[in-house]
Amino acid sequence: MPTGSNAHPVRIYDNYRRFLTQQDRYRTDWINPICILLLFITGDFFIYSAQYFIGANYWIKQIVFMAIGGTVYWGLSITDYKKLLEYGHFIYGLSLVLLLIVLSPLGEARDGAQRWIDLGIISLQPSEVAKISALIMVASILARSKVSTLGNSLRPLFWVTLTSFVPFFLIFLQPDLGSGLIFPPMVFALLYTSRLSIRFFLVVLGAFVLMLSLVAIDLTGYYEYYKERDLDFNRDKGAYEEHDLLPMHDYQRIRIMTFISPESIDPTGTGDSWNYRQSVQAVGTGGLTGKGWTKGDQAQLGYLPRSVAHNDFIFAVLAEEKGFLGGISVVGIYAIMIFNTLRTAGIARDRFGTLLATGIAVIFMIHVFINVGMTIGLTPITGLPLPFLSYGGSFLLSSCVFQGIVQSVHRHRREFV
Amino acid sequence: MSKTFIADWRFFLLTIAIVLGFGGILARLSYLHVIQADELSSIAEARRQRAEIRYARRGNILDSRGNILAATRPVIELGVDPVSIKPEDYEKIPRLARLLDLPEETISNAFSKTFRMNSNGEKRPVRWIRLKEAISDSQYDQIKALRIKGIYGNRSFERVYPGGLLASHVLGFINKENVAVTGVERFMDFYLRGQDGYLETEIDGLRRELAQYRSREIDARNGLNVRLTLDSVVQDIVETEVRRLVDEYHPDGISIIISRPQSGDILALANYPSFDPNKFWDFDVDSMRNRAVTDVYEPGSTFKIVPASAALNEGLVHPETQINCGVSSVQYNGRIVRLPADDHQLGSVSVSEVVSHSSNRGAAQLGMIVGDDAFYNYCRLFGFGEKSGYGPGGEVSGILQPVKNWDGLTISRMPMGHAIAVTPMQVHMAMSTIANGGVLMKPRIITQVEDSNGQVISDFEVDPRRRVVSQETANEVARMLSEVVSDGTARSAAIPGFSVAGKTGTAQKIINGHYSHREHVASFSGFFPADNPQVVITVVVDNAHRPNGGIAYGGTISAPAFRNIGQQLVQYYVMSPSAQAPSASTVAVR
Repeated sequence: MPTGSNAHPVRIYDNYRRFLTQQDRYRTDWINPICILLLFITGDFFIYSAQYFIGANYWIKQIVFMAIGGTVYWGLSITDYKKLLEYGHFIYGLSLVLLLIVLSPLGEARDGAQRWIDLGIISLQPSEVAKISALIMVASILARSKVSTLGNSLRPLFWVTLTSFVPFFLIFLQPDLGSGLIFPPMVFALLYTSRLSIRFFLVVLGAFVLMLSLVAIDLTGYYEYYKERDLDFNRDKGAYEEHDLLPMHDYQRIRIMTFISPESIDPTGTGDSWNYRQSVQAVGTGGLTGKGWTKGDQAQLGYLPRSVAHNDFIFAVLAEEKGFLGGISVVGIYAIMIFNTLRTAGIARDRFGTLLATGIAVIFMIHVFINVGMTIGLTPITGLPLPFLSYGGSFLLSSCVFQGIVQSVHRHRREFV
Repeated sequence: MSKTFIADWRFFLLTIAIVLGFGGILARLSYLHVIQADELSSIAEARRQRAEIRYARRGNILDSRGNILAATRPVIELGVDPVSIKPEDYEKIPRLARLLDLPEETISNAFSKTFRMNSNGEKRPVRWIRLKEAISDSQYDQIKALRIKGIYGNRSFERVYPGGLLASHVLGFINKENVAVTGVERFMDFYLRGQDGYLETEIDGLRRELAQYRSREIDARNGLNVRLTLDSVVQDIVETEVRRLVDEYHPDGISIIISRPQSGDILALANYPSFDPNKFWDFDVDSMRNRAVTDVYEPGSTFKIVPASAALNEGLVHPETQINCGVSSVQYNGRIVRLPADDHQLGSVSVSEVVSHSSNRGAAQLGMIVGDDAFYNYCRLFGFGEKSGYGPGGEVSGILQPVKNWDGLTISRMPMGHAIAVTPMQVHMAMSTIANGGVLMKPRIITQVEDSNGQVISDFEVDPRRRVVSQETANEVARMLSEVVSDGTARSAAIPGFSVAGKTGTAQKIINGHYSHREHVASFSGFFPADNPQVVITVVVDNAHRPNGGIAYGGTISAPAFRNIGQQLVQYYVMSPSAQAPSASTVAVR
């Protein structure tokens, strides 16, 4: 076959589809672990670089977290994921308890949000536990039910909505909009995979558009309100909250406005749009090959704020210091990892495994897209970290758990002798 | 593919969605990295760069004894960046107001003025509002302790004149834009101002300087000190006398100059009206003129030293030559010329008596004896009609018409100090010429420029301009002038124990084109001791009002001022009385 015809889009997709359902003879999938290792090593180098100027040692802590995470990954991957069907309810219940604890006085408040439980050595982020448990719970509900048209699927839909909405709402109360954002796409992806009628998704799309227009109207009113009264967006935070259309906080409005129109909300560029502007400048100034490791002045000199450079904005540090090539390499590794996860979904033994792997692929996709997107000005700034790259114990552990489940689905796709 | 649990078309859509997501990231990354890289680099670079001026400290102005007349004080200009003010900062306003001694309202207004409208009606952020022009370091520390992020100060220098009004016309001042406007400040600005340095560096995200990235660093070179010939004590004596004259006579203006005849060094120079350079903005521009060199008047009888010196120096007359002052007109160059009137009919008197009794007719005839061209030449030689060379700005030449512009009466009027406009400084330097044995000096106000260690950078030498009359003529005129004080029109200038030489002048002011009978310029210019002159003093009082309504003669207004000053100088310089000087009570008659 001439190579030219291989490049035909249809043939590429066919080859890709064949790859996704290929049953190789190895029991263990090695693609994802290699991707994870590459991402983690890269991430740790740039956590070091992000703190190079101040000489902090988070990169060592991250290695410790990864050691724990690696153990968890190994343990989960040799455990049959079917056990999750049995214990899913307990995990789900535990996560709800943790979410309630974090809202109680036992929770630890940082920067005006209660998101952590202090366990002495480490702080736990229950929203990460909730993500895992909600995925398992929704997947197990859908795996047990028969879903087809909307009318035939009301019962499982009700349970899915309830099980995902409770943790979503509790996370919303913290407030942690970023982590909460994961829930809707994850649930819809699982419903979609479960062959729910396409009409449902059209309705959801309509609701989403309606929601967007409500937000737009709310923001317009907010903008007009401040302009008319000569109020300052930063100084007079909260003034609009009594007159608002949607129950949002003004800091959230400012974030969205910063994304839509940074010039009007922060004309000097030193206020709310600082992170956005500096991050875009960091990425852009990297050029093709970057300024060199620990040589990126945006990150090193603290223009990219040091409090976020090593976690939420780690990609900006990388893109500045390793440039376009470094940036697309990492994005490419994510792409391989996500498509390989989809492959696992394709060759899974049962519906439960397919749902778990698809959900995890979507969760990772959302994380990568939102996080990389915000550092390059493609999406609004939310607190979603980058899997295996960003600093953060809870999130690294939850990422390892997700990938461990994927590996388990892969390893138990059929009986191995 | 039916083995999978996902429908084919659903899987296709999911793939498309993920590919689109990665495609979006890829496209945006390429755009930022490849297309926008240069533009973003320059933005980031510009934000990092900071150029800072390091201001040079302006040099001091010192008097001849090293007393500071003008100095520079480091101060902090305090202001607020309203954009950086946080709501909780408003609670600190009362404490801030107390520290700054400002009304609370002023501060809260400044805090809340976060934007202004530019000419296009657009909102522009306001990043700096000045709260206080100059505060001290300790005040600044107290304000910083309040921890208001938006409030900060910039270091600058403030010019201070410790003497207030003292010698303000000599010193001049620095305006609010830091430009030297008048006086020595402007004349010596090149030396005084120094050279500002600058610093090019980079700042980090919190606007702190990154010292390791300093690319260029030029230290400021502080200005040099300028040492004047002035003596603060003498200057103070003179200014006290000016105040006395003002209190007593409410004149329109006064100029007093004191100098050393041999060197031309100005010891004191004062004018009225005067101003305080520390708060020059409170004063009328009129009061800032150094009238001693910028304003002209008709000198009157003080000018009679010129025809007397000229006639003697040309050998045309002796001191004892008789001049008939009884006639009202004489024949000159084939014409009959009317002579001006005298206050007292004198008859035929000697040249000495023409000077000592200030005879107008005698002076006119002396001028005619010398002749038009020769007399004009002597006027020029004495320095009239040209600038004296007093450095610090604003000096005028006065008006001395060349002979071809003269009319028939000029030769009878100019010798008595009419039909000519002079500055007090010109009269003063002409009188100094007599005191200095006939050599005209350039007035000197600056002796040297020195650095902060007292090392002399530049010297300003004594500058003799030319010999005007012979030593003998000068001595002879000086003797005649001493008779003016001992026996003539200026007995009120006499200083007991010293022989004083001098000449009074009373000129009618020209009001609306006519000589006024009520407004006069009363002047006296003289020196002492007459045989060994130490100081020359000139006092010019414009339009003095005598309490009894009488004419403000030079002898009644200016001569006593000369005496008051002279007596204090005798004390200050510990001068020993002249050997053959007449006491005040005895009158030497020749």
